[in-house]
Amino acid sequence: MKPILLTLGTALLLSACDQALIRQGSAPRPGFALVQDSTRHATGQDSVWHLSAAELDANAARVSALVNGKTIGPDRAVQVALMNNRALQAAYAELGLSGAELWGTALGSIPTLNLSVTNLGEEGFARTLEATLTTSLLELATLKPRKRMAEMDFRQAQLEATGATLALAYETRRAWIEVVGAFEAAALIGAAQGTADAGSELAAELGRTGAMNRADQAREHVFTAELAGERAQRKLEAQLAKERLIRLMGLWGSDINVNVPDRLPDLPHGVTARPDIERLALTHRIDLAAGRLELERIASDYRLTQATRMLSDIEIMAGAEMEREDGANGLSPVVDIEFRIPVYDTGNLNRRRGEMTYMRAANTLAQEAVNARSEARSAYAAVTGSYRVARHWQTEVLPLRREIDAEALRSYNGMLTSTFELLSDARDGLEAELSAAEAKRDYWLAEADVSAVIWGSVGGSQ
Amino acid sequence: MINRRQMLSAGAATMVAAGAAAQTRFRDLPEAASTDSPMTQVPPRPSVGVDYNPVVTLNGWSLPFRMNGNVKEFHLVAEPVERIMATGMIARLWGYNGQSTGPTIEAVEGERVRIYVTNRLPEHTSVHWHGLILPSGMDGVGGLSHPAIPPGKTYVYEFDLTKSGTFMYHPHADEMVQMAMGMMGLFIVHPRDPAFMPVDRDFAFLLAAYDIDPGTYIPRVAEMTDFNMWTWNSRIFPDIDPLAVSKGDRVRVRCGNLTMTNHPIHMHGYDFQVTCTDGGWVPESARWPEVSIDIPVGAMRAYEFDAVHEGDWAIHCHKSHHTMNAMGHDLPTFIGTDKRKLTGMIRERQPGYMPMGTAGMADMGMMSMELPDNTVPMMTGWGPYGPLEMGGMFSVVKVRAGLAADDYSDPGWYQNPPGTQAWEWTGELPDHASNDSPETRLTPRPTRDNG
Repeated sequence: MKPILLTLGTALLLSACDQALIRQGSAPRPGFALVQDSTRHATGQDSVWHLSAAELDANAARVSALVNGKTIGPDRAVQVALMNNRALQAAYAELGLSGAELWGTALGSIPTLNLSVTNLGEEGFARTLEATLTTSLLELATLKPRKRMAEMDFRQAQLEATGATLALAYETRRAWIEVVGAFEAAALIGAAQGTADAGSELAAELGRTGAMNRADQAREHVFTAELAGERAQRKLEAQLAKERLIRLMGLWGSDINVNVPDRLPDLPHGVTARPDIERLALTHRIDLAAGRLELERIASDYRLTQATRMLSDIEIMAGAEMEREDGANGLSPVVDIEFRIPVYDTGNLNRRRGEMTYMRAANTLAQEAVNARSEARSAYAAVTGSYRVARHWQTEVLPLRREIDAEALRSYNGMLTSTFELLSDARDGLEAELSAAEAKRDYWLAEADVSAVIWGSVGGSQ
Repeated sequence: MINRRQMLSAGAATMVAAGAAAQTRFRDLPEAASTDSPMTQVPPRPSVGVDYNPVVTLNGWSLPFRMNGNVKEFHLVAEPVERIMATGMIARLWGYNGQSTGPTIEAVEGERVRIYVTNRLPEHTSVHWHGLILPSGMDGVGGLSHPAIPPGKTYVYEFDLTKSGTFMYHPHADEMVQMAMGMMGLFIVHPRDPAFMPVDRDFAFLLAAYDIDPGTYIPRVAEMTDFNMWTWNSRIFPDIDPLAVSKGDRVRVRCGNLTMTNHPIHMHGYDFQVTCTDGGWVPESARWPEVSIDIPVGAMRAYEFDAVHEGDWAIHCHKSHHTMNAMGHDLPTFIGTDKRKLTGMIRERQPGYMPMGTAGMADMGMMSMELPDNTVPMMTGWGPYGPLEMGGMFSVVKVRAGLAADDYSDPGWYQNPPGTQAWEWTGELPDHASNDSPETRLTPRPTRDNG
């Protein structure tokens, strides 16, 4: 007996829906459009997925043009990070892998039909045609849900890629604020040191003329020296903050020749009212979207187990033999369809597992939603509160400090106070400016956090 | 301003006081005269009662009175006042009848005075008549002589003036605060005999010290030693009026001290004799010549001189800090300090910074830089030849020929006759002696030329 193997082409099994999945999974940048849309919406910047050496080269040239020797603002920093951070490209590759999985699942495993033709008699016909579908019929039966799950995996990967992109954008924005704030603080310490230097200079001169003893001179000098130490510390902090920004932007080589402004932007005239911040967070947060997807997947799983249970309950073991009785066309096929049901044994247990898994995910998601709303309110409170604090420094404290400076000068003019008191007031004024600058930095960080709570996936900076 | 019509009407009223019809009217309080001017107001000679030559209170005035029968009546009102200490500086003080120091009370030896004292302060007060001989119950020590005068109440002091001389009045209830707030005034009793020690010009002022931080208006009443406003009649240079004197006048200057320290008052151009204290007139045999007279705390001195030397003669407290206005006392000495580098460094932060004091402090007198509110420069004032660099207790005695008897207006700057003013030497300088040794060196006797 010689078996005749007929192979059924897979194409026969592919529906239009499958073809869409395949198109999606096999695209050069599968699922990236969604990442780009979300990124653009959330950050105003473009995300880029480089696939070839040529693209990477072109990108390097563009990045270089954007940063080399340039003074960059926060938007450009984010833009360059999105273009140039290789960890992000790695995250996009994950998305690509997930696309490949989807593609593969949509294609399905290749089903094979084995026909055993026996009893090839003298009549020239096979008397019995025994055919066996060797492919797993279970696989066929569960193909549809598995495709759905692959699709969900793919959607999950899209969310993860989006989340990675937004997290990078957020961290880069924060890093930019921190580095500029650090430079601003260092500069103010430097200005304070200028006044200390002046005090030191005067003390030295008074020592020379005989009007100040060594102890008082040393007091002026030690103050200057201590301030110089603090200034060096602040400069180091600024330098390290800048290096972190450079890391996030993926810069190296000559491109690290990038500058940031000396000071953070002034406070805006007001904080944008966001009465709908909770709704925005519930609508936009990537982590909530991932949770919903997870729930969907579990629900789907649950339906899958029900379907399986149904099948397993029936315990199909069907065979059919067609015998050709007294006829030339008597066909006696043997079709063995065997369903291998691996784990699902009793229906109740499976249902319970499904329900509990679903409930666990649903409750977790519900709490996450509650947290998200609270975080949104917190972030809004933080941004409005820090704005008020920063504004208070700007409009209340600093004008008073300026008045003190002006009065200190008048008092000095009247020979009521000495140069040292003038300098001391000036230093106090700089101290206040430093506090005001820090309050301003805190406001800008809080402002960055607002977009993080609306879009989620902030990588633990909260 | 003092209301002259009021004085005249008081005088006119007194004229009819003899008439019985006027008796009821005089049961009322005398009107409380008031002035808001810090300028010297020369009192008119009295039109009723015993005649006398009124004193001229520097930057002050004399309280109008009325005769009620044979009693001379005054009305003092103790109240919060605003005193212009100098152009650009107002002090919120307590005083009498609109001013601090209060108006001068003038009367004549042998007269009976009735002084109504109305208290418009937020706390009780009293008036002590410093140096006067009077009944114990009229001495004005709150709680000791009589109950202190509550806010809103009027008390009457009435006593006979048993002696002439130079006296003052001030509170003796919460005395430290009320005197630190400026409550004080002169009380002059003229001799009944016009021939007794007559003078042509009779000036009077009280020394008062305040601690008013630059930029503030009200004195720190708890201060004991570190005052910064050294005033004559609550007025500081350059806005203390000059003492205008006609050449040849016999001049008396009466000065009382209600500060916490003594003041050596020094007058240039003359020697003089102390003729009176708040204890009475000094017999001629007990006088000695002086050019500075120390006024002890809580005491009065009057000195006299014949104004024979024409010119502009400084008169001031000889404690040099007392001829300064508000200044810092914790300033390092910057003399000899090179501030060129420093100036650039400070201007980074304070663009208006001017280096001062490197050659001394006279640059302060030259510059007019922006100062805190409500203060005057520590050293200030301009004369005909440059900045005077003075403040506080400083004025000028201006002796001129031919001033009218009642003319106390500022005659302007003295024109030194040719050849009588220091001049610049532009010729060769002879070698000058110099000594760098701290040892005592005996000066050799000059070799005498016996020819």
